Amino acid sequence: MPDASSAAVELRDVVKRFGDVVAVDHVSLRIAPGEFFALLGPSGSGKTTTLRMIGGFELPTEGEVLIEGEPQGYKPPYQRPVNTVFQNYALFPHMTVAQNIAFGLEMRGVPKEEIRRRVSEMLDLVRLSGYERRRPHQLSGGEQQRVALARALINRPKVLLLDEPLGALDLKLRKAMQLELKAIQEQVGITFIYVTHDQEEAITMANRIAVMNKGKVLQVGTPQEVYEQPQTFFVADFIGDTNFLPVQVMQVTAPVEVMTESGTRLTASWAEPTLRTGVKAVMAVRPERMHLYRPGSGPEGPEWNRVEGIIRQVIYKGLDIRYEVFVAGECSLHVRMPVGRSEGTFQRGEHVIVAWPRAAARVFRSES
Amino acid sequence: MSATPTTSTPSAGQHRLRHVLGQWLFHLYGFAGYAFFYLPILILVIFSFNDSRSVSKWAGFTLRWYEAMLQDRQIMLALWNSVFVAVVSTAIATVLGTLAAMALERYRRFPGRLIADITLYLPIIIPDIAMAIMLLAFFNLSGIGLHIWKVHFFGVRLAVPISVIIGHVAFNISFVAVVVQARLAQMDRTLEEAAQDLYASPWRTFWRVTLPLMMPGVLGGALLAFTLSLDDFVITFFTSGAGFNTLPVRVFGMIRKGVTPKINAVSSLMLGFSLLLVTLALLAARGREERKVGFF
Amino acid sequence: MNELLQRKPGLRAWLLLAPSFLWLLIFFIIPLGIIVVYSFLERDLYGGVVWKWTLENYRRVFDPLYFKTFLYSLWIAFLTAFFSLLFGYPLAYYIATRPEKTRNALVLALMIPFWTNFLVRTYAWLTLLRTNTGLINVWLQEWGIIDHPLPLFGNTFAITLGLVYGWMPDMILPIYAALEQLDRSLLEAAEDLYASGWQVFRRVIWPLSLPGVIAGTMLVFIPSLGAFVTPAILGGGKRLMIGNVITNQFLGAHDWPFGSALSVLMMAVMLLATLIYFRTGGEEARRGGLG
Repeated sequence: MPDASSAAVELRDVVKRFGDVVAVDHVSLRIAPGEFFALLGPSGSGKTTTLRMIGGFELPTEGEVLIEGEPQGYKPPYQRPVNTVFQNYALFPHMTVAQNIAFGLEMRGVPKEEIRRRVSEMLDLVRLSGYERRRPHQLSGGEQQRVALARALINRPKVLLLDEPLGALDLKLRKAMQLELKAIQEQVGITFIYVTHDQEEAITMANRIAVMNKGKVLQVGTPQEVYEQPQTFFVADFIGDTNFLPVQVMQVTAPVEVMTESGTRLTASWAEPTLRTGVKAVMAVRPERMHLYRPGSGPEGPEWNRVEGIIRQVIYKGLDIRYEVFVAGECSLHVRMPVGRSEGTFQRGEHVIVAWPRAAARVFRSES
Repeated sequence: MSATPTTSTPSAGQHRLRHVLGQWLFHLYGFAGYAFFYLPILILVIFSFNDSRSVSKWAGFTLRWYEAMLQDRQIMLALWNSVFVAVVSTAIATVLGTLAAMALERYRRFPGRLIADITLYLPIIIPDIAMAIMLLAFFNLSGIGLHIWKVHFFGVRLAVPISVIIGHVAFNISFVAVVVQARLAQMDRTLEEAAQDLYASPWRTFWRVTLPLMMPGVLGGALLAFTLSLDDFVITFFTSGAGFNTLPVRVFGMIRKGVTPKINAVSSLMLGFSLLLVTLALLAARGREERKVGFF
Repeated sequence: MNELLQRKPGLRAWLLLAPSFLWLLIFFIIPLGIIVVYSFLERDLYGGVVWKWTLENYRRVFDPLYFKTFLYSLWIAFLTAFFSLLFGYPLAYYIATRPEKTRNALVLALMIPFWTNFLVRTYAWLTLLRTNTGLINVWLQEWGIIDHPLPLFGNTFAITLGLVYGWMPDMILPIYAALEQLDRSLLEAAEDLYASGWQVFRRVIWPLSLPGVIAGTMLVFIPSLGAFVTPAILGGGKRLMIGNVITNQFLGAHDWPFGSALSVLMMAVMLLATLIYFRTGGEEARRGGLG
């Protein structure tokens, strides 16, 4: 393994079972040094268990966890060069803020003088200078969150594990903390592995995202890749809003061709490799990639898909307008159009053409 | 004004009267209930100051029964025996019970859990008389515990049968375990994970995080064990053999010989001890409350 | 070693449990086994046992002489539980309906006698109840309310009163715990609707407090059945309970096998009561009781 050392964390075919339940199912991942890596998935997807195996709180049933190329085996948490920011912060209630932050250094026998210096550095970094003597319960949620971060970062871990660290904060504070966390990560240059169920949060902060469901990693990629080129129905569905049209596969080699239930032929840029001609599938298109035109207008040609429909609902959202379009015999499509386009706005009940480029359409095996 | 329906006024008034009367009776009942609990004890204490051998006819105030008590070497020896047995058995039971509570709370499922549960909880359910004869038969058959521990305790020479201490520990472990387990159940387990994450070995995690946080529970358990040990009569009576008295065993012997205000005086002393312990338990519980507020 | 412990949490659990488990195994479980074995052996003339198996001890338990005492103990335990419930329930209800501060003070006030020595509390009643020199009879005669002393001592009344006094807090606390969890507005509504109060009680409050009632009944019944001190002091040597008979077999008559058989039977009854308790949804009740 010549390049094993270049990964900050590597999981090799890791399995975790709790009794009969498979929490993590053959997961392999390589996370590069300095990366902000997000584990994204719904609750019960195995993302937290994966994180806990890296931290040493759980041991893999099968497979191996490597940190900087070194297999961790049965190493307990206190022997691993990683630190964790817990979901509920887990600040020691019987210690002050300074004592909490100093705890890790103290355990490693760092001289008192150095501890004092580094604690005050850390408090500066998380903008909590002057809070040294307070107790955790005297702090707000956001402040507690920053203490938890400082308490972990002061140890200069090779990897920082964050388990839904913003989950307990309200929306506005969460948005602010997302930017702050990202800035701190860039400043200290430590690898962050970040567990969240919030796709927007993952997309905002991470360099790369692993989408998990039912213990499996479904896709790993940059936020853009995961958003624009989902590899499975689940990923397309879980991340962002997506229109799904039930279709039948006509041709699986590029250009992919499908037919809707009412017989309209559509083309797509990509189809799931396991699909065969003739089977039922779904076509996925993001609402913002669809455009509305008045009948008889709009782009045509092999690169474009067109269906007819009737506007059922119009919702004004400030930056854009969201239309719900009923396509006869098919389904409802959601279309998102920026305000101030030349066509003007459409009215409820109006007949329209919904058009989207081939490049925006992908075909998946349907999951239900 | 004149249109007020006349029928509703008396019925509302009646209803109110019944309500007030009911409340008043209810208060009276509550008062009577507490009188039932406290009056016998109060009378007992009052007659410990009675200047007569009678414990039912008041003949003036005196402290002579307390003097007699203090000069009674047997009572004083029994007092020191009681305290010594309570201190030693509480210390052992608290350590053992706390460890057991940690195992039961921490590792919810493990092989043999049911056996561990039964062994730990059975001593709470089984009445002390059954436990007492079991221990008597055991010590008699095995010869274990017949050893006499000769010790200087605050300058007093005591000779304590090991069997008594063994018995007291045996019934106290379970109570300590229950109290500490209740405390541990409220504790956030991620705090220990956080300590381990911050390079604290299990040993240091225990001393720096687990123990400080469960301390109110440990103190509460220890106080309960101390009280139960001081109060125990039956198990001591059966396991001590002749010639060894704790305060309750001595009092029982005195009662059998006849009622005197001296017994009232000793009883009042024991009551004083109990009150002191309740106060301490209360302070420990208050500490617990503050921690709780502090944490959430 | 560390690796093994890390891999096997059960091993760590048992390491922590080992000291107390071994202590209780040697000084509780084995002694229990000894008593069970003894109950099937014959006695020898000097108070020891002869290693010959027999069922004679259990036959003797059903000898009317002893069986009567057994039934009497059950009767006393029943009476104690009954009166503790009868008088304790309204008191628990009273405490539960007070404002919070008063409530806490009242619970504490209940804990104090609970923490004081059982022997002392029994002795207190001895000085009150004794036939000729007991405070109650002396005062009642002095005030001319009665001519002759009332039979307050050395009978079922005295023993039951002593046990109710000793164990009633064990009845009140779990009931209080159950009542306290009730919606406050529900209780206030019940008070407000005083006219139909009985209905509200019977249909709402009583069913909801039942777990506490069951737990309390268990906590009073079991120790009352095994009582030794109370009948010894307040029974005046005239009325014996099973605990006294067992004591006599071990300390007086030196018939350990028979004493063991009596104890095994007593514990069997208690086990049965406990099983019934768990069957009737006692798990909830137990939590209320301990909390």
